[in-house]
Amino acid sequence: MKPGLVLLCGMLVVNVWLPAHAQSSAAKQIKGWQSQGAAAADPQQGKLLWFSKHGVRSCSSCHGASPLEAGQHAKTRKPIKPMALSKNPARFTSQRKTEKWFRRNCKWTWGRECTAQEKVDILSWLSSQ
Amino acid sequence: MKEANKMKIGAILLGCVLGLSLIGITRTVLASGWSGREMEQESYEQERNESERYEHERNEYRRQEAETRPMSAVQQAYVEECGSCHMAYPAGLLPPQSWDKIMKGLEDHFGENAELDDQTRAELSRYLQQASAPREGQYRRMIRNLDQQAPMRITELPYFRHKHREIPSRFIQGNDKVGSLSQCDSCHRGAQRGWFDEDSVVIPGVGRRDG
Repeated sequence: MKPGLVLLCGMLVVNVWLPAHAQSSAAKQIKGWQSQGAAAADPQQGKLLWFSKHGVRSCSSCHGASPLEAGQHAKTRKPIKPMALSKNPARFTSQRKTEKWFRRNCKWTWGRECTAQEKVDILSWLSSQ
Repeated sequence: MKEANKMKIGAILLGCVLGLSLIGITRTVLASGWSGREMEQESYEQERNESERYEHERNEYRRQEAETRPMSAVQQAYVEECGSCHMAYPAGLLPPQSWDKIMKGLEDHFGENAELDDQTRAELSRYLQQASAPREGQYRRMIRNLDQQAPMRITELPYFRHKHREIPSRFIQGNDKVGSLSQCDSCHRGAQRGWFDEDSVVIPGVGRRDG
């Protein structure tokens, strides 16, 4: 009885709570950027941004063409877990981490920080995948 | 007559056994090491003197200790912040002046942006300074022949270059599973925990260091 209960709770956490938590966490961050002036989320625009290039660099240089698949760091070859929420429920659960990587990666990829609108669109696309 | 025959058979059998064991020993000797010719045996043997053996025992003790010791909060933060794109190199692999330079230039970190917020950067800088290559202990060799220079790459250290000078490039740069000497943990399986002993090296697609 007891191990079964623990297993059930574990499954609930992994299959229900974690994805829901990630969804709500992503939604909260999107709302945060919207309060800074961003408009409604446009996932299709987010997809376009994913592939949009500055020189030879785009998000997909390291994350791969599909956010459902694992990526690989262009230089160090270190594997990068999938960005899609459905494949990786741990994504976007920490706002600090999301902001850190947007700051670093937008600067590396496009040579500038991303706007609040761009973050809204990209995150909405990734969390809908 | 019969006794003499028995003696002959005995002698032949003994000869066979000795012959086979000689072949076996020769093969073992030839197969040991990873290819014999590339490695300069003499310098290798020089390092394998008494004090090195003693050192090895001490290292073994340290390794076991390192593997079981839980990481401190700041070490966990270091691995989290600096181990996403590459292995979180143990702080003892570089002298304090190198870490200082690296932590002041995270906006252009070997061509990548690795910015941290001010608080995290200060916290990790303090940790790296305190845990950097010391004059004594396991990592003291890393700063050999370095004086006050501040190399940005571990692979530029004289000691590092010395230790890796005999490895053919086809094992590293020409090896799809390794790619570069910066990927410590491709061959040094305990690298993340600060364990670099030669005996534990396994080169992917090549094999063990010591046969």
